[in-house]
Amino acid sequence: MRIINQKFWNIFTCFVAILFAIPILLIFVSLFFGFNDNFSHIYDVVLFEYSANSLLLVSGVSILVLFIGVVTALLVTLFKFTGSRVFEWALILPLAIPPYLLAYVMTEIFEYSGSINVLLRSLNLISVDSAVPTIRSLTGAIIIFAFALYPYVYLITRVALMSISKPILDSARVLGTSKFKSFTKIILPLIRPAIFAGLALVCMETLSDFGAVQHFAIPTFTTGIFRAWLGMYDLNTAMQLASILLLVIFIFLFLERNQRANAQYSSVNDSKEVLELEVLVGVKNILASVFCLIPILVGFVIPLIEIISWSVEIENIFSSKFVNASFNTLLLAISAGIITTIIAVFFNFNLRIYNSKLMNVTNNFISLGYGIPGLVIAIGITQFLTYFDLIFFDTGIIVTGSLFGLIFAYVIKSYALTNNVLENNYKQFSTSLDDSARTLGSSQYNLLKNIHIPLLKTGIFASILLVISEVVKELPATLILRPFNFDTLAVTVYTYASEERIYEAALPSLLIILIGLIPIYFISNMIRTTRKLN
Amino acid sequence: MKTAQLTIKLIFLSLLIAGCSPVNEVNVYTSRHYDVDDILYAEFTKKTGIKVNIISGSGGALMERLKAEGRNSPGDVFFTVDAGNLANFQQGGFLQPIESEFIKNMVPAELRGPNDEWVAIAKRARVIFYNPESVTDDEIKNISYEDLSSEIWKGRIVVRSSSNMYNQSLVASLISNLGIENTEDWATKLVNNFARTPQGNDRSQLMAVANGLADVAIANTYYIGIMLAGKGGEEQLKAAGKLKLAFPNQDNRGAHVNISGGGILKHSPNKDNAEKFLEFLLTEEAQTHIVNNSFEYPVIDTISPHPIIAGFGDFMMDQTSVADFGKYNPEAVKLMDRAGWK
Repeated sequence: MRIINQKFWNIFTCFVAILFAIPILLIFVSLFFGFNDNFSHIYDVVLFEYSANSLLLVSGVSILVLFIGVVTALLVTLFKFTGSRVFEWALILPLAIPPYLLAYVMTEIFEYSGSINVLLRSLNLISVDSAVPTIRSLTGAIIIFAFALYPYVYLITRVALMSISKPILDSARVLGTSKFKSFTKIILPLIRPAIFAGLALVCMETLSDFGAVQHFAIPTFTTGIFRAWLGMYDLNTAMQLASILLLVIFIFLFLERNQRANAQYSSVNDSKEVLELEVLVGVKNILASVFCLIPILVGFVIPLIEIISWSVEIENIFSSKFVNASFNTLLLAISAGIITTIIAVFFNFNLRIYNSKLMNVTNNFISLGYGIPGLVIAIGITQFLTYFDLIFFDTGIIVTGSLFGLIFAYVIKSYALTNNVLENNYKQFSTSLDDSARTLGSSQYNLLKNIHIPLLKTGIFASILLVISEVVKELPATLILRPFNFDTLAVTVYTYASEERIYEAALPSLLIILIGLIPIYFISNMIRTTRKLN
Repeated sequence: MKTAQLTIKLIFLSLLIAGCSPVNEVNVYTSRHYDVDDILYAEFTKKTGIKVNIISGSGGALMERLKAEGRNSPGDVFFTVDAGNLANFQQGGFLQPIESEFIKNMVPAELRGPNDEWVAIAKRARVIFYNPESVTDDEIKNISYEDLSSEIWKGRIVVRSSSNMYNQSLVASLISNLGIENTEDWATKLVNNFARTPQGNDRSQLMAVANGLADVAIANTYYIGIMLAGKGGEEQLKAAGKLKLAFPNQDNRGAHVNISGGGILKHSPNKDNAEKFLEFLLTEEAQTHIVNNSFEYPVIDTISPHPIIAGFGDFMMDQTSVADFGKYNPEAVKLMDRAGWK
């Protein structure tokens, strides 16, 4: 009886997982319709440039993000220096500012009449007519993405660092291992999976971005997708390009998972001892502080000041519309955060218990959603939802353009965030725990409820909050899938920006940042409590 | 745990409530999302009691949603800012003829689509802005788009990316008039004359000319209106004051004009309301509101443009068929790719 039950449970979960995978699969369907003239045009004329730009962008962002994210995580977790307590949480702040907004802000700052040039001119550092180079370049884009996205690497690396148990490090030191050696031989291998999990998220988000690269007019792969669709009116070619992009991402995800599978995992940090922080003094102290300060300034403080200065520029910036949009944004973000996390816990639990291949593949496949430009995934979802409507409601369109449809989209779009967090968290406690529970006669449900969920608490919170901060910023899928008259803050900002009225976008932008700050406050609090408990 | 349960219940409840809507309504699918339009819609509701429901997105995305929704689509009106999009929708069979006599009387035939399947609501010209300090009268006199490929403009022109639909429509109109080969030759030479890699929006181009980074810019007329009215802040007002405007091709076919326009969707469940809505947008009251706030040109004769825009004078408008904008748009994109127009 129990075996039948288990089988049913496994099949049911796989079925639900596949349901979420269908919109992504629909994108690949385009590959079976053959390649037309538009595709060969793109292939012959621009594909090389698109791919080269995307590759340069992603490599540049990766290097910079690794450097900023890993070094800051190491500094604040292992050392004590001036301001390190504040940097711990402040380093997450840039997560509140979406890359497209940072791109708009930085362009304004570096404009001919922008703050930087005005400042330099008033200090007589440049002549009255000259200006610093514009930020609208590939290098500029790399900087924008790196400073907007490094918190993913910082956050996940830091959580991993904190779970390295003190006895391991202590025994290394007792055995006379040098600091550098203990770093490369012990710490690095232990945090490597976390670093890559964070980096994978950064790369996917960079590749799927359209807003920032469009504003900078850097032709990347995504540009190609949109030109084919909106310029050549050829959705199929656009989907084919998207499929190619996805295949590349899929291969990288696969390699990354593989190397993670071989990696060593630290046991749960069950030691009650606090990792002793080395106190930095003198030059080292100053260098550490400055290093942590720069990303916070560039990624958060400076853009925030600039946006506030816009709001001063324009009178009557307040509109009751913003209140509605804020409410909608919060409603959506919280629902999507909770629902996505519940689904991810459910899938990961199933994966852990049954270790089914189909489930494993499907799980990775849904993670791809994060790497697809929002508008493209929205098309797959629209098609799927309308089929659904046709089958179940012959009277009309019910689910498409409803909030359920929108949340369905967010689950697919942000699944990778929750999955990467929970998967890492799950691997930190051994399966022997499950076996003992079962030997003691615990049911699956009990195992999940009484043992796993309490152990996953950190991961569950982190994942809800990451999804919230993602949904608050999400734009393209919201635009096309939302119900009538349903504005979110990101939509409001986009409306002004596309009308080239960026100053009027100041208030909704500030609200996005404000709402983004709420999850950040909780994440940092949570991490701090973990530290105290240990 | 109890609070968590309650929260989840509340969320689902509010999701359901948010899904409900009243009956006397018109559902507008729009890729034109101007703040000033909201005021207009509110006015329409006050007059007729018909609620206006909005869903916005790019033309291509709206088309996919409509396609997927098929005959069950709740959409009544399609409204967009680009003629290529309108033509594309019309050819795709998404629209139905507008029967209103009022509309046929108010709007000249060239501003209505084939079978009256769409109607223009406002016009904007894509013109040449220049800095009178660095451009001589001789150079700018009787200028045409074609002239911009001449060597004398080397390193002096700025224009935004070729991903922008206004540039795509402009090039499509050139293909319609000059043919693909000549247009490609023109585009290649034009790209050689660029002062910088295309970047930013139309306003950034105007700022670049005002700040001396380039001498001429190709941009839409209404941006200068917005800037001169001080709606873009002090800096932009100052910059706009340094610029002059030239309407191209005045001694042959006229300046390229793009339109904002709308049509009634084929499966419209509230067809009468849709017609009333379009009629309202073409009343003197609505047209006055549009020209005064978005600085576009009106489509009815009895209204004049905003004084700032009217100050640039009358001009001859290119009569190239709007259907051609849609027809040649894909060619235009490919041609600009080959010409290296980023």
